[in-house]
Amino acid sequence: MRAAFMVEEDRGLDSVVSSRFGRAPLIVIVDLEGSEVRGIRTVENPGARAGSGAAIRAVQKLVDEGVQAVAAGAFGPNAMTALEEVGIRRIQVSGVPVSEALRSL
Amino acid sequence: MIVSVSGGKGGTGKSTVAVNLAALLSRGRRLVLADLDVEDPNDHILLGVGLEREEPVNVMLPFVDYRRCTKCGVCGKVCDTGAMLISPQGVPFLIPRLCSGCRACYFACPEGAIVEGGRTIAYTYLTDVSLDGAEFELVTGSLREGEEHTPPAVLAAKERALSLDADVHLIDTSAGTGNSVATAVDGSDLLIAVTEPTPLGLHDLGLILRVAEELGIESWVVINRAGLGPEDGHVRLAEERGARVAARIPYSREVVESYVGGSPIVLSRPGSEAARALAGLAAMVEEVMG
Repeated sequence: MRAAFMVEEDRGLDSVVSSRFGRAPLIVIVDLEGSEVRGIRTVENPGARAGSGAAIRAVQKLVDEGVQAVAAGAFGPNAMTALEEVGIRRIQVSGVPVSEALRSL
Repeated sequence: MIVSVSGGKGGTGKSTVAVNLAALLSRGRRLVLADLDVEDPNDHILLGVGLEREEPVNVMLPFVDYRRCTKCGVCGKVCDTGAMLISPQGVPFLIPRLCSGCRACYFACPEGAIVEGGRTIAYTYLTDVSLDGAEFELVTGSLREGEEHTPPAVLAAKERALSLDADVHLIDTSAGTGNSVATAVDGSDLLIAVTEPTPLGLHDLGLILRVAEELGIESWVVINRAGLGPEDGHVRLAEERGARVAARIPYSREVVESYVGGSPIVLSRPGSEAARALAGLAAMVEEVMG
């Protein structure tokens, strides 16, 4: 599966999951086979620089990246509506490294 | 003549100056006061009148004709507010609250699959005000709860006000210097920037004077709550920007009392220092009007 983690700073699997969803600057995308990490890369979150509709732009990026689950500390109403609509699972977690957040998948 | 009252910072006395100027300038003249602070219109409260003759402000709301949609995703790419989400299957999905009604998706869709709908985002009102020899019309814009886009509401209320025949159109804006303020003041002959002798008042005065400059509007500075703190920075800034300091309204208990009493101070306490300062300002505007 492919999971995404909203982060403030890119430190690979040590990146700390951000408390925010739409405005977090970066997204760490991890490819998993079972519990094994097969690939990891970081992309920019277009929502971070958006004037409005940040959460929707973030969700669109996740859709375009083919992500099935996303982790962040909090999800606003727009984020929840959009994530449900496109069928991406939410993982509510923050302040922990990606490597640890992976375990809640 | 179109005169705007603005100021950048919130709570500097924009509405107080606007309603008092309206009371003074409407003597012997046709005047329309436009309250374009659509997120929190309150001139009617300061004037003690209600909101009448409601008209809806409708904006376009796109609907997707899924029989025509080829899932190309163009509507999502052109959407400037992030209101159009494209699902993993390529199906567009609209989040109405984020839509500003700009029609970009409507024009961009190559299949004609975007259908024009509409929704009401705000209301405008028109109230006849009659106070102690001051008679004028008040147009108010009021955004509906939960709506995010103020400019269409500001524009609709402004158009309703300008459609009324008058010698003076007086515009009261919201705080800030963003789209909704620029939309409100654009086309004015004069911008009265109400500030106060505080660091934040000074900072925001700089911003609103720049907005006026960008839009090519002559600006005057009114220092409200004068006496509260140093004003040299404000005076210097006004000079730099070519704006004249047109009035200083002293910080006084009488101003607060008229505010509590719900009547413009120029009517309730015409002899007060603050009322005299406002009368001086009105006289200057009258001079410009000729």
